[in-house]
Amino acid sequence: MSDGKFFTTTKKGEIADLKEELHSLDKAKKKDAVKKVIAAMTVGKDVSMLFPDVVNCTQTDNLEMKKLVYLYLINYAKTQPDIAIMAVNTFVKDSQDPNPLIRALAVRTMGCIRVDKITEYLCDPLQKCLKDDDPYVRKTSAICVAKLFDISPEIVEDRGFLDNLKDMLSDSNPMVVANAVAALAEIQDNSTKPVFQITSHTLYKLMAALNECTEWGQVFILDSLVKYEARDARDAESIVERVTPRLQHANCAVVLSSVKVILAQMDVITNTELIRTLCKKMAPPLVTLLSAEPEIQYVALRNINLIIQKWQNILTNDIKVFFCKYNDPVYVKTEKLEIMIKLASERNIDQVLLEFKEYATEVDVDFVRKAVRAIGRCAIALERSAEACINVLLELIQTKVNYVVQEAICVIKDIFRRYPNTYETIIATLCENLDTLDEPEAKAAMIWIIGEYAERIDNADELLETFLETFLDESTLVQLQLLTATVKLFLKRPTEGPQQMIQMVLNQATQETDNPDLRDRAYIYWRLLSTDPEAAKDVVLAEKPTISDDSNQLDADLLHELLQNIGTLASVYHKPPDAFVSRARVAVTRGEDLEEDPLGSGEEGEASDMADPTVAAAAPPAAETPAPAVAAVTDLMGDLMAPAAPSALAPVPAAAPAADPLGDLLGLDVSAAPAPVPMPVAAADPFALMDQSQPAAAQPKPILLDASKAQGLEIRGVLAREGGVVFWDLDFSNQSQSQLSGFQVQFNSNAFGFTPKPNGLADLVVPPGGSASAKLHMMPGGAPATALTNMLQVAIKNAQQPVWYFTPTIAVEQCFTEEGLLDRDAFLGMWKSLPDVNERTQMFPAANVPSVDTFTLKMRAHNVYFMAQRPVPGTNQIVTYWSSKLPQAVLLLEMTLQVGVPGVKCCIKSANPDYAPLAFMAVEKLLASATN
Amino acid sequence: MGMWISRLMSAFGEREARILVLGLDNAGKTTILYRLQVGEVVSTIPTIGFNVETVTYKNIKFQVWDLGGQTSIRPYWRCYFPNTQAVIYVVDSSDVDRIGTAKTEFHAILKEDELKDALLLVFANKQDLPGALDDAAVAEGLDLHNIKNRQWSIFKTSAMKGEGLFEGLEWLSNNLKR
Repeated sequence: MSDGKFFTTTKKGEIADLKEELHSLDKAKKKDAVKKVIAAMTVGKDVSMLFPDVVNCTQTDNLEMKKLVYLYLINYAKTQPDIAIMAVNTFVKDSQDPNPLIRALAVRTMGCIRVDKITEYLCDPLQKCLKDDDPYVRKTSAICVAKLFDISPEIVEDRGFLDNLKDMLSDSNPMVVANAVAALAEIQDNSTKPVFQITSHTLYKLMAALNECTEWGQVFILDSLVKYEARDARDAESIVERVTPRLQHANCAVVLSSVKVILAQMDVITNTELIRTLCKKMAPPLVTLLSAEPEIQYVALRNINLIIQKWQNILTNDIKVFFCKYNDPVYVKTEKLEIMIKLASERNIDQVLLEFKEYATEVDVDFVRKAVRAIGRCAIALERSAEACINVLLELIQTKVNYVVQEAICVIKDIFRRYPNTYETIIATLCENLDTLDEPEAKAAMIWIIGEYAERIDNADELLETFLETFLDESTLVQLQLLTATVKLFLKRPTEGPQQMIQMVLNQATQETDNPDLRDRAYIYWRLLSTDPEAAKDVVLAEKPTISDDSNQLDADLLHELLQNIGTLASVYHKPPDAFVSRARVAVTRGEDLEEDPLGSGEEGEASDMADPTVAAAAPPAAETPAPAVAAVTDLMGDLMAPAAPSALAPVPAAAPAADPLGDLLGLDVSAAPAPVPMPVAAADPFALMDQSQPAAAQPKPILLDASKAQGLEIRGVLAREGGVVFWDLDFSNQSQSQLSGFQVQFNSNAFGFTPKPNGLADLVVPPGGSASAKLHMMPGGAPATALTNMLQVAIKNAQQPVWYFTPTIAVEQCFTEEGLLDRDAFLGMWKSLPDVNERTQMFPAANVPSVDTFTLKMRAHNVYFMAQRPVPGTNQIVTYWSSKLPQAVLLLEMTLQVGVPGVKCCIKSANPDYAPLAFMAVEKLLASATN
Repeated sequence: MGMWISRLMSAFGEREARILVLGLDNAGKTTILYRLQVGEVVSTIPTIGFNVETVTYKNIKFQVWDLGGQTSIRPYWRCYFPNTQAVIYVVDSSDVDRIGTAKTEFHAILKEDELKDALLLVFANKQDLPGALDDAAVAEGLDLHNIKNRQWSIFKTSAMKGEGLFEGLEWLSNNLKR
């Protein structure tokens, strides 16, 4: 009895049954079969193999059946692109059906079938339907054009469908107009050419359609109106006049879009009386949005946040509606808080403060903190009300609730920055709470206050001393503040106590911590104090710029753009649309452009001997833009000068006053240095001069391209591997007079088939006299060279210089891939199947493996995976087995060694033994690193 | 119950048959289909895909599948072969140059296992055009006389004038198995 019987079954299975039923001549049975197929499709079963059978059901006079079959087509046409062509004739016929519903259904389905092969055939029916007598068919066709544009912009342009759409803007039916607008707007979004521009003629048509079409049609039209630039104030006024009634609409989207249009036109309107009326009219609809569900409230609040940044007066009188209800979700509360801060004015501050105080007693810690912070922000924004705010803060501190107190202290520090020498009387109250501080930010704020007002606090030195006891255990933030505060204290009170403190803190900061920021700042202070205490005073106790509250404040350009996008996701994210919508098509075309011109057109002759024509030119965004050295120094000093720069509050003109003392300081340093050093270098790296004892930064990378041979362009680099990707970590330095940019790279065909990542260096810019780093990813997959060496011939060019060639060696140990990990059986099978001719052996007499375990880790880090080991009978030697993979070859390694004794024999088996010599190079290096 | 009704129908003499209309592009398949169905000449464009209509003749409901004849579509003819009782192969008698291609396609169809029981009806179409080959010449061109073990017939037709088509259906209705 054979087991063959298990493979034969009398059951035909579900698919076969369905197939039979689909061919049934009985219409009811056939319809049921189609329904079964759709049901299976809906629950995720793959019924794509029934495609031809279902397509055969398309020609039916039963509308229900037709809809079901079309649904199936939309779903599976992509998986069966060839046979989808059999459905074309049905679309052609249906698009001429006497029933407009069927004509529209056909057009709609056609648009959803994204199969290149049949797109062409569907244009004729579409053309007819665009001119259909029935508006329902026309409006459906309009959307179909937008879908077609997504598949093939060329066809849409060649067929003149865009003109059809533009004609539709004058259609007698408002829904057709709305859909034409929607389609054109969609196309414009994906096109680089100007497709859709509203003229004064079309404007009139759109306005007429606006009043009659559906709510979503109104949204389309309103959104398109935002981009219309009114010719003059009167033009704008007439638009506003037509749009204003839409503010009453029940649909939130219509309301927001209307607001958007009105705001855009308000820029043009000159009549101040009208503007005031408009502001008044916009308030009630916006307030009404807040009575919807929390999710809609949130969207409305995000939009209102934008609106009031430009037109605060629209809602100033309605601040009460933004008061938080106890049952608001937290995301709504947070937004409301933000808006309350923005709307707070001297007129309503008392009310607002009462609210904030109330919130500060709630249970949600996060919200409480935000409320406290809100009080501080109001204090900073409204000078005349600052005192009232501070009183509230003090009341809150009296509650002794730990997190309230800490948040209040952070906020008060900001208030001190804003109004220096005004409210110091409250310091005593703050000092009472010193013991309760346990959060770094609050501690840092308190320490800053003590340092800043050391002369007014009698026991400042004692207070600081208590903090200093735990100096080494504190977080960096606190340590930095302690350092600065101690220096301030010393400069203000150069007595014995503070002197000891400063000595201790400088010692600890420079010698007992390994935080470079702290250490460097300590060195600067130390140097400053020992060189010229007066200069130190000028630097450390300099007058600080006034801060202002600009947290969550958008800059004017961004705000303008976001206001144009009210009612869209951009207005919720507060990010411009291109920040989160990728225009894939545009990017692709650009990529193609570059590929056509691999190394620039000029050097074809030069490049051709090296350049593999299939290798594309390079450029990813990996390269960081090098910050000019001077800016780096000003940053550093900005940090010094405003040591307590509060996280949320930025110093206004931070760098300006700092620049001069810095010049002095560095001047001193330079004159003190044994050899005169040119200024720019000193500025670039002040700490290199100050501290020679510091461990040298990472060793300079080997030179790949010598500056003397390449008109001042020097390239250093090493090959590294990270996250499964091999890349060149390159440092560029430019000793020429001009900025270098537009870098492109090509590799000659090489042993591993590496090609540079296309456009891998496109973002790299090297300023004259400056340097920059970049990571150039090596993409595997190219054809490997026939001669297998570890040399890589590289051609590099930039927009300013000719092509340079250099030939670095590939560090083979970086090229093993993650796929080298085999399971034991696979390894064993492969090892046995490879004949002896595929075996290569090499001795490494000097290599010495002190411990197999650490060696295994080292090898594993380079993707050489330990398989097994066994002792060699009668000796102290062991044999170890390893698997690894270079891009073109799986390599099986056998290493015979004795732990702690020099001499390793390595044997490599591979289906492609030509790669063994390269692998030996890597093994040699890995062994050498294990020996050390 | 469906089975029962269809049996009942056949007892009353009403039968159904599935017919494929095949042939090279521009042979006149779609025109023939609609001539049979609505009785008049409709203007057609190349069929990218298929048409299916029901034609009732002498108590037989012919479900007629007209498949596009373009080179790109011919590979998909085979999806329509199962359960087919008869194939109407339409030849453009005036297209002398492509009679060879027509023959190749026709013999490919003959070899299909799923069509081994199907009746073969050849329409030598476009007899109204000057220079059209007659039925004998078309039969010669398709090498019909070498077909063994199959029932076949050839008719001179003109879809434009409506000649010969129903004679073909008559032959089908007489020869379809009961």
